[in-house]
Amino acid sequence: MSGREAAVAAEIRRLAREELKLEGEVGADEELAGQLDSMALLALVVAVEDRFLVVLTDDDAAGARTLTDLARLVVAKQVAAEGAR
Amino acid sequence: MIASRPPHPVVLSVGRALPEHHVDQETLIAVFRELWSRKHHNAARLEDLHRAVGVGGRHLALPLSEYPPLDTFAKCNDAWLRVAVDLGERAVRDGLARAGLAPADVDQLFFVTVTGIATPSVDARLMNRLGLRPGVRRTPVFGLGCVAGAAVTARAADALRAWPGEVAVMLSVELCSLTLQRDDLSVANLVASGLFGDGAAAVVLAGGERAVGPGPRVLATRSIFYPDSERVMGWDVVEGGFKVVLAASVPQIVREHVGGDVDRFLADAGLTRRQIRHWVAHTGGPKVLEAFETSLELPEGALARSWRSLSEVGNLSSASVLFVLGELLDAGEARPGDLGLLLAMGPGFCAELVLLQW
Repeated sequence: MSGREAAVAAEIRRLAREELKLEGEVGADEELAGQLDSMALLALVVAVEDRFLVVLTDDDAAGARTLTDLARLVVAKQVAAEGAR
Repeated sequence: MIASRPPHPVVLSVGRALPEHHVDQETLIAVFRELWSRKHHNAARLEDLHRAVGVGGRHLALPLSEYPPLDTFAKCNDAWLRVAVDLGERAVRDGLARAGLAPADVDQLFFVTVTGIATPSVDARLMNRLGLRPGVRRTPVFGLGCVAGAAVTARAADALRAWPGEVAVMLSVELCSLTLQRDDLSVANLVASGLFGDGAAAVVLAGGERAVGPGPRVLATRSIFYPDSERVMGWDVVEGGFKVVLAASVPQIVREHVGGDVDRFLADAGLTRRQIRHWVAHTGGPKVLEAFETSLELPEGALARSWRSLSEVGNLSSASVLFVLGELLDAGEARPGDLGLLLAMGPGFCAELVLLQW
């Protein structure tokens, strides 16, 4: 992970723990779906979209199996948006 | 078959009442969109979630314009009480008329809700509205949630085994729209705000010595409690009223348990699943109905009425399964001897099974 991706991953962990009160620590390379139920996963996606001002499509979400994948996806979306401006 | 001493109580009719303010799901989504877009970057995701619950529209207790001023629990509950008594009266009158009975014939009145509170309870207020006899035995029940329609119908049948010459009415009034916490942007609340609707249903039952008519007899009932699942479903009571607790594990619990629970219940009656011709399932939501179908290996279309009810009026909490039962009775397709199983689940987490025979 790049430094930016690591920072995003740390912030997603904080969102899960502090704002969504999800139990347990989300491991960087473990399957998200194995750790969170469908509602918790959806809550996390909504929180990530709100925090980083990105829109994650269903295809995006399907491709992001781990916290690392999700952080990379968020950064890629941010970079694409910055390039478009 | 099950011994018949005292004679089995009979379901004579199911009265139903829906508020007149029908709103389709897209109109409701448009109302919520403004609320969501103030707080969420991607409101379209929330709209998709609202469309995914399989509800086409709902009847609301009040016109849409009257919801914004309801900014405290007291205001919501005042509105709830006003509408609940009106709607409850309509449902009971409808049920009694369908059964060919008058208010003076009622001996016992059960009342269930999970969407508002009142003392004197709604059933007491209906004593005056309906002109019921002063000696009517009343049992108001709060807190069973979605399972209450099935569970308290079962308790009413239990009571009629002790009083086989009596008539009991089991009224459910649920006004879920008046519990909506507008500031709660949790996924649980987003699902609930898309799924739950308003309505009332009144089951009229008679003891076995009193019963006449083609309605089904209540052969047996079973309550099943799932230990240590208190946070699966329910309310947290907050300043604004009832804040929904709803876990994603509800369909999973149904999938894991309902097949075995139903099989054991039927086996105790000397029956198997294949002998059940009419399945009357609580309209929990698409995932719950799919879980019923999978776990019980139901034939195609077995839950068609539940799916249709979900689409037409939403999940009416405890009244839902009674609406489905009422539709089945209206259809007149059950023949003498047919077996039916009414099943619902709710907070606790728990289930109630009611075995019926026409």
